[in-house]
Amino acid sequence: MRAMLLLALLPFCNAVAHEMTPTYPTFSKSFMAGISVTTLNLFNKRTDVSYYEIGVFTDEWEPIPFVSQYTVIPMKYLDTVSFDVYVSNLSVGSVEYICSVSQIQAGSTVSSKICSRIK
Amino acid sequence: MKKVLIASLILAPHISAYAEDTPIVGNVQTRCLITTDTNGVYGNPLPSKLSTAAADGGVVPVIRYDVTLADAYLAKVTTPTAFSSSPALSDSVTWTGSTAVTKTSDAGMSGYEAAKVVYGPTTQFDLTIAGSTWFSSSSTAVYGVSKSFVGGSYTAIVLAECIAK
Repeated sequence: MRAMLLLALLPFCNAVAHEMTPTYPTFSKSFMAGISVTTLNLFNKRTDVSYYEIGVFTDEWEPIPFVSQYTVIPMKYLDTVSFDVYVSNLSVGSVEYICSVSQIQAGSTVSSKICSRIK
Repeated sequence: MKKVLIASLILAPHISAYAEDTPIVGNVQTRCLITTDTNGVYGNPLPSKLSTAAADGGVVPVIRYDVTLADAYLAKVTTPTAFSSSPALSDSVTWTGSTAVTKTSDAGMSGYEAAKVVYGPTTQFDLTIAGSTWFSSSSTAVYGVSKSFVGGSYTAIVLAECIAK
């Protein structure tokens, strides 16, 4: 029975990567009154990831409501996606981090998370 | 002769168009790139134990961080505390794990290992120098009190974070 124990046997030499820029985005006025916007870019070089979830947080990692084209962005391998994050002017002063987290598929063993910071 | 001169004048702008320089534009900006160099594999040296150690037949996952600006990012690597997929288990699993710097692109990064901060399953590194750093995260899971793991496929996740400072 023990011999049947199948572990995470994965191809372990394929380099896969996740990148988000800019490191320090800035908010500016959007086309809507009372709403600020910033733009970030995601690059997916992970063959094992097709989706990245976006999150906006305070300095205490409390989530802040936001609007974007997608909360979970579908991305093909080697895709670069530019996305806008809209936040109410009432909350924009509390925004500290904007993060993207890989949504891993079955079989993946590393989840990646990159956070840009508002300075 | 006059016709040749007129033809030359007409063609001249077109010929110069072929000699136009074609720029290749690039933009280098601050960034953090997380790369999974090696996916981990659990070995099963004992019926009750899964381990990524090479001595136990496993493979330690290796994660590379590339940063283009010094002192702009924190790297946080969290070893697993649960299986993301496994057969149904009736007893508890005891997890241990650790993360260490295994390779650097700059000699100045040699202090990363000594300066790391460990809290729970998470190890934090201050990426004070631009370049690449490789981290290895070992993980061990022990089932119950010397109980045998149930046969099946087990997967656990290492979380690699790059947080702007």
